[in-house]
This record gives sequence, C-alpha cells and structure tokens, in this order.
Amino acid sequence: MTIGNLLAVLILLIPSSVGIFYRWRIKEASIVAAAIDLALSTIMYYFRPQTGFFFVQNITIIFIMMVLSVHLLSTVYSTRYLRGIENMGIREPTYYLLLNLFTVSMIFSLEVNNYGFMWVGIEATTISSALLLITEKTEASLEATWRYIVLVSAGVAFAFISIILIYYSLGTLSVSVAIASHPHSRIIVLAVSLALIGFGTKVGVFPVHTWLPDAHSEAPSPVSAMFSGVLLPTALYVLYEVYEIEPVQQLYVWFAVISIVAASIFIGYQTRYKRMFAYSTMENMNLALLGLAAGGPLGVTGAILLLISHSFGKAGAFYSSGNVLRFTGKKNIAEINGLGTSMSYTSASLLLSSLAVTGTPPFGTFFGEFLILAEVLSLRMYAQFIIVIIFLATAFISVNYNITGMLFNGKGPHNERDRLMSAISVISSVLPLIIGIFYLVVYIEVL
Amino acid sequence: MNYADSLIYLISSLIAVSAFYIQGQEFIVSMIRGQSVQSVLIAVVAFIIAWEERSYDFIILGALIIILRAFLVNYFLQKRIPKQKSYIYEGKVNLSYLFLVDLIFIVISVFILYSVAFSGIVLHSFLENSGNSGVLVFPLTLFFQGLFLIASRRTTFTQIIGYVEEENSLVLFAMFLLPIPIIIEASVFLDVLALVVISSIVVLEKFTHEPVEELRG
Amino acid sequence: MTPPLNRWLNVDVVTLLETLTQYFFVILSAPLYAGILAKLKAMVESRNGPSIFQPYYDLLKLFNKVTIIPRGSGVFFKYMPYVLFGIYSLIALIIPVLVPVPIYLTASGDFLSGAILFSLATFLKTTAAMNSGSNYVALGASRAMSFNFLSEGTLITVFIAVSLLTATNNPYTTITFLTSNSLENISLVHIFSTLAFFMLFFYETGKIPLESSGLQELGMIDEGLNYEYSGKLLAVVKWSSYIKQYLLGSVLLNVFLIPWGLFSTSPIFLLDIPVMLAKWSILIFIVVIVETSLAKLRLFRVMDYLAIAFTFSILFLIFVEVIP
Repeated sequence: MTIGNLLAVLILLIPSSVGIFYRWRIKEASIVAAAIDLALSTIMYYFRPQTGFFFVQNITIIFIMMVLSVHLLSTVYSTRYLRGIENMGIREPTYYLLLNLFTVSMIFSLEVNNYGFMWVGIEATTISSALLLITEKTEASLEATWRYIVLVSAGVAFAFISIILIYYSLGTLSVSVAIASHPHSRIIVLAVSLALIGFGTKVGVFPVHTWLPDAHSEAPSPVSAMFSGVLLPTALYVLYEVYEIEPVQQLYVWFAVISIVAASIFIGYQTRYKRMFAYSTMENMNLALLGLAAGGPLGVTGAILLLISHSFGKAGAFYSSGNVLRFTGKKNIAEINGLGTSMSYTSASLLLSSLAVTGTPPFGTFFGEFLILAEVLSLRMYAQFIIVIIFLATAFISVNYNITGMLFNGKGPHNERDRLMSAISVISSVLPLIIGIFYLVVYIEVL
Repeated sequence: MNYADSLIYLISSLIAVSAFYIQGQEFIVSMIRGQSVQSVLIAVVAFIIAWEERSYDFIILGALIIILRAFLVNYFLQKRIPKQKSYIYEGKVNLSYLFLVDLIFIVISVFILYSVAFSGIVLHSFLENSGNSGVLVFPLTLFFQGLFLIASRRTTFTQIIGYVEEENSLVLFAMFLLPIPIIIEASVFLDVLALVVISSIVVLEKFTHEPVEELRG
Repeated sequence: MTPPLNRWLNVDVVTLLETLTQYFFVILSAPLYAGILAKLKAMVESRNGPSIFQPYYDLLKLFNKVTIIPRGSGVFFKYMPYVLFGIYSLIALIIPVLVPVPIYLTASGDFLSGAILFSLATFLKTTAAMNSGSNYVALGASRAMSFNFLSEGTLITVFIAVSLLTATNNPYTTITFLTSNSLENISLVHIFSTLAFFMLFFYETGKIPLESSGLQELGMIDEGLNYEYSGKLLAVVKWSSYIKQYLLGSVLLNVFLIPWGLFSTSPIFLLDIPVMLAKWSILIFIVVIVETSLAKLRLFRVMDYLAIAFTFSILFLIFVEVIP
C-alpha cells in the first residue's frame, strides 16, 4: 500500500477511534485527533493516494484540509461552549463522538472513488449530525432536527435515482472513469439534472433549501459552523463530481442564480442573527455553484477561493454568534445593542466575519466572487451577471446593516466571560483576511 | 406475455395498492405492518427476477430486503411506540380527500416525469418487451406516494414510514433497471436502518409537528 | 347473420326475436331478482321471509292505488318516472344483458354512452325528486349528489375499461375476446376493473354496507329519492330501479366476471335465459354473503369506500398505459 493510501485510510480511522476514549477524557482525545489529522492531511498534499479506491485531486486535498481545520476549531470551541447549557439533549461524550463521526463521514464522501459510496457518505453525515442538533433541547430544536432529517433524506433519495441512471448507462460507478469518459446521452443529462435537486438539497439550492435556516439556527454554534463551513462544501464537491460527467451548464447556472436571488430576499426580513447567517451561507454556496458551473480556470479558482475563505469566515461568524448567545442569552437582532463596548473581541470578530461573508475587499471572498463573476461575464451571460450583482449588493447591505446595528448602538457593561471562545472566533474571522491578502500579494502581483 | 411477466406486473401493482393502504390508515401499527408487507412484496419480485435470470445476486438482495426492511425496521419501530393512546392513533384522517389528492399528485408527477424523461430507456433485463420500459411506472408511483405521505401527515412515525417507502421505491427501481453492486445496496440498507434508529430516538420526544413560530421565515 | 327471410319487410327475423326476447326478459324478470335476494337473506337470518314473487305483487298493488302529488311540485315530478323507464329500456338494448351479439337498436349507442345514460338517469331522478319540494327528499338528494361525484367517475372509467383490453368500445368484442383468450382474465386491467365495478355495484344498487333497506330515513341515500312518489308513479320508479339493478349486475357478470356461457345463434339463444338466471344466482349468492356479514357504513365512510373504488379504477388506467 502506498504512503498516500495509508494516509487516506489513517485520516479516516483516527477520528473514529476517538470512541475508545468515550468514558475518559474524550475532549482532549478529540482535540489531539483533530490536530494529528490536520497534520496528516498536509502531508497527503505531497503523497497522493493512487486512484483506485480513493480519488484525490488537488481540489479534494484543499477540501479535506478545510474540513479538518474547521473541525479542529469547532472541537476546541465546543469545550467551552457546552459548559453553559442547562437542558442537554445528548450527553457531552456523545456529542464529541458524533462530531468525530460527522467529520469521518464527510472525509469519506470526499475521498472515495465511487458514486454509490459518496451517496452513502452523504446520508451518513445526515445520520451523525441529526442528533447533534438536539444538544440544546428545546421545542424548536426538536422540530428543526426532525425537519432536517426528513427533508434532507427525502431530497437525497432523488440523488440515488441519478446514481442508478449513471450506473445504468456507464456500467461503472467509479468517479475517475466516469469523468474521463464523455458520454452524450439523454439519460446522463437526466441523471445530472436529478442530481441537482438531489444533492442540491444538501447544498442549499432553491427550492429544496428549506431545512437550512432551521437547522443552522437551532444547532449549537460549533455545529452550525461545521454545517456552513464544511458540510455544504462537501455536498457541493459531490455535486460537482456528478456535474463533471456531463456539464448541463444552463440548468445549473440558472438554478444558482435563482437561489442567490431567493437567499438575498430572505436575508432582508430576518429577525434573528443566526438565521440571517444561514441564509448568507446559502447565498455563498450558490455563488460557488455558479462558479463551478460556469467552469473554466477563472470560475473554478474563484469558487475554491470563495469556499475556503467563506468556510473560515462563516465559522467565525457562527463562533461570534455563539459568544453573543452564550453571554447575552438573546437570539433576536433587535434585542442586542452595544456589543462594541460590552464584548470587544467578539464584536471585532463579528464585524470582520460579516464583512468576510458578504464579500468585502480585501477578504478572500471578494476575490472569489470577482473571479466567478469575471467568468460569468466572459461566457456572455449578461442577464445572470446583472441579477447576481444586484442581489449580492442587497445581501451585503442587509447583513451589514443588521450587524452594525448590533454593534454600535448604545453601550453596555463588559460581558466577555470566556477568553478562549473569543480567541477562536477572532482567529477564524481573521483567516479570510489573511487568505485574501495572500492571494492579492502572491497572485495578482504575478499577474 | 409469459407468466413471469404478468406475475411481476401483478405484484408491482399490489405494491402500489399497499402504498395506498398505508396512506389511508389511522393506526400506526397497521402502517408499520403495511410497510413490511410492501417490503416482502418487493423481495418476492426480486426472487422472481432471480429465477428468471438465474443469478444469485438477486436472491441475496431479496433476502437482505426481507431481513433488513421487513423485520428489523418493523421491530425497531414497533418497539418504540409507547403504549399511550395518543401515540397509537393518528387522529382524523380524511381518507377520500387524501386518496384523491394523492392520485392527482401521482398522475401529474409520474406522467410528466415518465413521458419527458424515461420513455427512451431500454431495459436490459429479462422482460419480454425489452423495448418498452413501462414497468418503471411502478417504482416512480411508489416514490411519489412516499413523498406525498411525508407531506400530508403530521406525526413523526408516519413520516418515517414515508421515507422507508421512498427507499423501497429506489430498490425496486434499481432492480428493474440494472442491479447495483451488492456492496452498495447493503450499505444503503444499513443507512436506512440507521436513519430509522435515529428517528426513533427523536420520535420519543417530538410526536406531532405543528408550525413553530421561531422557525418561520 | 343469416340472410333476411322476409325480404319485403327488410327485417331479420332472428334478430327481431332476439331483440324482443331481450327486452321483455329484462323488463319482466327484473323484480324477480330482488325477490330472490330478499327471500335468501331471510332464510339466512332464520326467518321465513316473503315469497320470491313479492315484488310483482307489490308493483301490481301500487298500480291500483291512488297517485298523490305534493302541492308544490313541478312538471318534472309527474313525468320523470316514465322518462326514467324509457332510458332504462334503451340501455337494456345497448349493453349485453342477455344476448352476446348486437341486436336491433344496439347501434344507437356504444358502451360509453351506456355509462352516460346511467348518469343521466340518476341526474333526472334526483332533479325530479328535488322538484317535489319536500325536506326529507332534499336530504336524500344532497347525499346522493355528494356521493355521486365519485361513483360516476368510477362508473365511466370502468365502462371505458372494456376498451382497454380490445382497443374498441364494443362490449361484445370484449366478451368474445375474453372467452377465447382465457389468460387475459388475470391481466391487470381486468382484475382491477372487476374489483372497482364490484365495489361500485354495491353502491349503485343500494345494498348493505352502503345503504340500509327499509324506510329508515337515517341511512337513505337512494331510497330517499323515492320518498314522495305514490301510486302509479311509485310503481314505475320502483320498477326502474329493479331494471337498473338487473342491468348493472348483468354487465358485471357478462363482461367482467363470467364472460362464458352465452349463446348467440338461433334458436339456441333462448337458452340464454336459464344461463342468465344461473349466473344471477351466483351473484345473488355473493351479495347475500356480503349483506349478512357486514354492518352498514357510517355516511362519511361511504365516501371513503367510493374513493377506494375510484382509486382502483384510476390506478388501472395509469398502469394499463404502460403494460402491454
């Protein structure tokens, strides 16, 4: 077995083995496992697994590293976040076990070279993350959990039809073989279109996105960060692998544009900040889908850049929201004032991350959006371009208006009780800025 | 049309009828039993195909279906129903209205999907009229009936059954079209089982689903 | 067909005989089945029961009674029973109720028009009943109308079902087809349509579990429409409902359940009469079993029952589209 294959298997095994520590010090074990995994994945950048059971391209490595980084951040954050919850639906060790299984199933979907197993991996993510949603056991969170399970499973069942059709017409379910062959049949077109609805349920495509705001707003913040930051990009990666068999460009582009429009409209009248961030995730994911569907070097690079910066930025946003929720106990935007004075670190990270996710220069998301829109324009899709620009601006205004309203109105006493949580949120929000400046310096200067 | 063909058509139509039966039930135990009857019927179709095509894969598939879907899912769900009356009886089910709307839904979805998309498919399998892919109507009908069951009911159990019905339809679809490798089918089955187990944990807490104010918008 | 024997009249004697036999057999023997059914039911329930010719005695008695017409009723009310009788007579010639080959006046309508004529008859009866202006009748009429929307859909769909087997709407072709290819009897279309029609038969002819017999107003659906008639008009209305029962049951038997056993050449077609009597006895037997073992459904359940029958009929329409 080559080193690459060994690494790929180890990355899968290490988080799942955290279960051994279930009774004793599972928190420390998960943090250590996450750190080791991140290190292994960076080594895997240089030693790729052979294409056989695993299929790891450049994009995949980037996604894996993204998954593991956010996982590490979330695990560390959870150690403090879970302290204050009164009515826990699941016990703490179960929480960590499920978090690790969640990550393992996502990496499995990313790495494996078989559409059927990818589907199984996506379903496994639903299974492992469903119980995480009831960590804070309230009426609303139970309802959100149930909606998440039912809607996502019903939607992803559509995707299975498309997988059956792919197998039927190509005779194989292997991703590498499928992409290399270029079939042109009606059945493949049908399969790819069905996959848009099927896997698109997990990505947040309109109209099957309805589970998204419920799940994100009711989950505990580290779990929301993982949903936005890594679960949706993983589903997007799987969708992209299906799309590559036969690019049905017009359909995907239009669905992405419509979803962006819908997300921006929904942001406009949100009254709770976590739900607002959830819709902003939907908007960014569909922007990335637009970039991947438009194709070309600009589009794909822009989409990847957007996804990486957005992961960290959105994770930062959710960590900050978690701080706000934990320290003030309120969920409504209107009820929160004067964060700038009462929680200085959190408010800084909140401002930075909300600027990041709405695509402000010089954050990495801005460059990602810029490249994607450049590609869209170069394909002469003028209508889509104009629509997207208008609604991106709308979302920008809505989100930042709400956030600055939370931060700069009024004064309050110093309320920041936990240093580590604030630190994590600040780190996570600054990363998009670093990525953006890195890109600016390294690539634009060369250009 | 030889006997095996007409037998398969008959049993597939019985599967669709069983989905209507589940739709019209008020008692949850009857729904669970209806679903296991449906899984057994699908396994019977698998065995018939196995006999026609002389392949072992289908026999294993049929056995897996019976064990995992008909027995285990049944067992887990029935174990989880507490004995209180409110958990056993669904409440007023307006059968005729539901049937009619269900029929309309099926007709529209199946016919649109079928005529637009599937009519060109040539089945590789044993059916004598392999130029005609008409038998795919049955799994499509079942899929949409599962969707409708989820959409039309309020209790958690019923929605779980609707999801299992959808997965049943996918298995039937795969069986008619081309058999997916066994390892994948087995993982799908285990997936569904895990989902049912998870849902049954949730169902203890949350039984009906009314609109929640916090989750609006 | 044998060449016409009497050329200057341009009439085929055999066909004429068949027509007359069929018509008079239907008209005259229709009340007999209701009588046999009542007697058999009574025997099962360990009673003596009325004689099997009791419906005839009832009709004769009613013909001799005074006809009373309510004050507020309109023109429809007085003449509708005769129109009804006329419609059912026409249907008796269109569909295969005795002779398995077309006779005179069969070509005046095909099978689907038979279904629509049934609907027309129901509609006219309800309108006439409403025209009498009585409250109880309005109750029965509203019930009948609210259930009829499902039953008529099923009726029409089932009558179309014969065309799905043979690609023509001619029930006589279906009978020949079914008797010659016995395997078609277990085809999907046939089984589902038989089931749907069987369920429908119970509704249209007012049997338990759908309608209680007797004059209790609580359960009346169809009986309620007869409430205001008396004397001659009541006799004609009752006779029409007996004929309707015979027609529906014969279609069920001849086209769907048991297509065998009918003769068409002359003069053996007279043998059709005992064959029909024998087939009807099977049907009566089944009906008696169902009637004595089930209880009457509550009124809102009747809608569910009809919805199930309707579902079967639509289902086979969907499936037959795709199954050869």
